[in-house]
Amino acid sequence: MRAIEKNIALCHVCHELVHLPSERENRYALCPRCGEEVHMRIPKSMQHTWALVLASIIFYVPANLLPMMHVHTFAGTQSDTIMSGVLYFLETGSYLIAAVIFIASIVVPITKLLILIYLLISVRNNKPVHQKKRKKLYVLTEIIGKWSMVDVYVVAIMIALVHFGGLSQIEAGEGANFFLLVVIVTMVAAMRFDPRLIWDLPEKEKQRRENKEKG
Amino acid sequence: MSEHLVCCHECDELVKIENPHREGRFNCPVCGSLIMKHRAGMIEKMFPLSIAALILFAVTNYFPFLSFHVAGNISQANFFTSVLYLFEEHEWLLGTAILMTTLVVPFIRIMLFLLLFGPLYFGHLPRYSIVFLKVLDHSTPWGMLDVFLVGVFVSLVKLVKMGTIIPGTSLWAFMMLVFILAAMQVIYNPHQIWEMISRKQKDAKMVTV
Repeated sequence: MRAIEKNIALCHVCHELVHLPSERENRYALCPRCGEEVHMRIPKSMQHTWALVLASIIFYVPANLLPMMHVHTFAGTQSDTIMSGVLYFLETGSYLIAAVIFIASIVVPITKLLILIYLLISVRNNKPVHQKKRKKLYVLTEIIGKWSMVDVYVVAIMIALVHFGGLSQIEAGEGANFFLLVVIVTMVAAMRFDPRLIWDLPEKEKQRRENKEKG
Repeated sequence: MSEHLVCCHECDELVKIENPHREGRFNCPVCGSLIMKHRAGMIEKMFPLSIAALILFAVTNYFPFLSFHVAGNISQANFFTSVLYLFEEHEWLLGTAILMTTLVVPFIRIMLFLLLFGPLYFGHLPRYSIVFLKVLDHSTPWGMLDVFLVGVFVSLVKLVKMGTIIPGTSLWAFMMLVFILAAMQVIYNPHQIWEMISRKQKDAKMVTV
């Protein structure tokens, strides 16, 4: 038995079961234990997730094209983008670090966005297939979300350590700002997505299952 | 109370748990995600761990993190240095994000753990525990010290070719802190405290009636 059929919703903060009034379309109640607003599903979950996903795709372009940091030395100024940093590590033979940066700042954001887009489309199509696998994909996006921050932190630590006035100095580039926005916006997008939508069946499917149980 | 109704937060299945106060983890029968865990001694473990975390947090921020030597020049950095330089360069967005995720949010979380589990350890339920639990719940994904640790390792490898790097006291304290915070995240189980709050609310109602 699912909670939505019994008009019960879960308080997302304190995990109390709350009975919702059944008559209104956009219904919510206040949790008797912690006072949070409890909705049956996250309101406008699909619209918000789509908007945030599109925003992060837009931010992702300048994040990769603009430099993450500028290295000023007496020999001149050198600017590094994400990909040129990875290539630098590959050339100098630090394959492990190259892999860490490549995974954290290129593989993770793209995977996250692709998974979210797939989930959004599949929820829209509303077919009860691969539900367990889709749920696993969603949990994965939640776990890997914050690990793309590695590249931003690397820039911050380099700025703090290489600070010798005119001799050599590192400054943050414009790409770092956009990359930070990509990370934060995709994290919020994953939070706004309601995984219970994966398991909500269309009316037709519900009737088919009921008939199956009867016959 | 020997029976307990729980709703899975991933797939919305209502699950009846026969004996909720048995030690262990309960998984949803439909989708397999963890819906409830119960472990004795949660409060007794969390209180000393949060004291340790606070001490290590203070050590991490007081001592220099790394020193960097290049051709007779020395620069030292602790956690706040990078935020300071970013603000000097007017990189407000980056500076604020790093300040929040590596300093403010972890500090608030450690303090809240302490304020919550200190009184609980001595047998009182703190008055504002609902607020504490709410803030702890909302701030979980935004404390990113573990990601920062990986960032430190990557930048170490990047800088090693440019000069000499001397790890400071605070780097060791910081590594310990990350492990302690991870352990706390595993042990921490807000459900047990919410149940205490429920019981207290019920008692209060009975007194007024």
